[in-house]
Amino acid sequence: MPVKTRSRTPVARAASLAAASLAALILLVPLLYALYASFEPVEFYGRFVGLSRLTPDNYRQVVTLVPILRWYLNTVVVTLIIILGNFVVNTPAGYALARFNFVGRKAVFALVLSIMMVPLQAYLIPLYLMVAGLGWLNSYKALTIPFIVYSFFIFLMRQYFLTIPRELDDAAEVDGLGKIGTFVRIALPLAPSAIVTQVVLGFTMTWNSFLIPVTMTNDPSYFVLTVGLNTLKSQYYDFPTVTMAGVILLTLPVIAVFVTFQRFIVPSLASSGLKG
Amino acid sequence: MPITPRRLRETAAAYILLAPALILLAVWFAYPIISSVLLSFEKVNVFHYAERRFIAFANYRSLFEDPVFGSTIRITITFVLLVVPAQTILALLAALVVNGARRGRTFFRTAFFIPYVTSTVAVTAVFMDLFTVRHPLPRLFALVGLPDTSWYADVHLALPFIALIYVWMSIGLYMVIFLSGLQSISPELHEAAMVDGANRAQVFWRITLPLLRPFTFFVLVSGMIQAFQVFDQAYVVSGGTVLGGPAGATSTIVIYIFAEAFRYNRLGTASSAAVILLFVVSAATAALRSIFREEAAVAR
Repeated sequence: MPVKTRSRTPVARAASLAAASLAALILLVPLLYALYASFEPVEFYGRFVGLSRLTPDNYRQVVTLVPILRWYLNTVVVTLIIILGNFVVNTPAGYALARFNFVGRKAVFALVLSIMMVPLQAYLIPLYLMVAGLGWLNSYKALTIPFIVYSFFIFLMRQYFLTIPRELDDAAEVDGLGKIGTFVRIALPLAPSAIVTQVVLGFTMTWNSFLIPVTMTNDPSYFVLTVGLNTLKSQYYDFPTVTMAGVILLTLPVIAVFVTFQRFIVPSLASSGLKG
Repeated sequence: MPITPRRLRETAAAYILLAPALILLAVWFAYPIISSVLLSFEKVNVFHYAERRFIAFANYRSLFEDPVFGSTIRITITFVLLVVPAQTILALLAALVVNGARRGRTFFRTAFFIPYVTSTVAVTAVFMDLFTVRHPLPRLFALVGLPDTSWYADVHLALPFIALIYVWMSIGLYMVIFLSGLQSISPELHEAAMVDGANRAQVFWRITLPLLRPFTFFVLVSGMIQAFQVFDQAYVVSGGTVLGGPAGATSTIVIYIFAEAFRYNRLGTASSAAVILLFVVSAATAALRSIFREEAAVAR
């Protein structure tokens, strides 16, 4: 982890610290501005007013102008279904690939790796046609069922299970726990950090997802927050401060979850360099 | 490998655990990806889906004859060229200062990463507000000769504008990759060079940068693959009007696919563009993987 750089002088270190702080400030200013503007009375929009003038009116307005509470509910339901589904489907698949010497293992693993290379955009049209054919447009099913299996998560879980000593599993098996019992009772409890990584990544990706819901829904009752915010912004461009309230409502949960769990998700995102 | 009773038992257990994933992959991945390739060779109308018919390469021909697709390719390449060098250099600089600061690395890593985990729709909405005519930022840029205008509505500035948003979001991701690269370099190397009389700049150009090569390569290529698929920012700036606006200035390849399919109901040409995207992205990813595996082996 942190490398000792003894050759650096305290001055150089202070300069780095100052530069890093400045850069962090520049990166966070747009979000801080959004937070500020979301509390600004619309008549003062574009000017700086004292903190005493700030009001929660924009938040009251956004609730009355658009069905944002419904969009919140939709987003939460869709996200919960996906992260639960991800866990139930991808975790055992990753375990099987890591642990069992089964017929066809190489082929299945190669398949998982090659699926990881394919962008969703390449098969979005047939996906839309399938969903439409099933009569699923504008439903939770359209936003969840196709996205429960996720090859990157299978890979992630496999990599993690490879790091758990095999002896533990073997001992449990000798004790009469079957192979699947061993997975549930022994391996799963040893993998909390990998499970948290999968769940938090799934949460961020689903919560922020835009291309899928904008393709699969056009009825405002089934909008998720991202799609809803986009229409709010276009419809009520006369109320920019209300849009900023929407921005904050959309981003705050993800930022809170990310800050809490960042040590789990930053390394795996960095190693894969992907975004859903 | 011989099939022993033990291996047979493991095979049965493995496929029980794999079954849900494999079934879902067959239905929601294998079937649509094959359909995507088939659709690209078919004439198809979404309202008369059953009447589609095979027309060989006609979709590809009309795709390449479509001047909009030509400009889409130019715009996408311009976007990649705007984004990739900028985000790579800025991420490297950020990693160098954060690594040099020693204190607060976790804090900075988190702060720099927040834009990346924030919704692109939300971030684009905020940037559109910041870059609206007569707001402080366009006025500031007016000092260096740019027009004081709403950047997202200007034909020349709209693409740089979404590139700016994109870079702002992705610096944190690539910074973390460079940071892990910097931390893999033994400090003794730097010390030895300093003892030998090298200055900071020489240490950076002769030691740090060459040792970071696999990381830089990864950041460049995966940065290109990601930037090639930009969609959200371009969709949001067109604000519910014609996609790729203003005047087609932000019509990137995924925007083109989306508009062809879901606005103009030309599923065939849209699918042929999607197949081209599929080949470009998976070939680049496969190349990155195989080269990176070699680079990693060399670095070790």
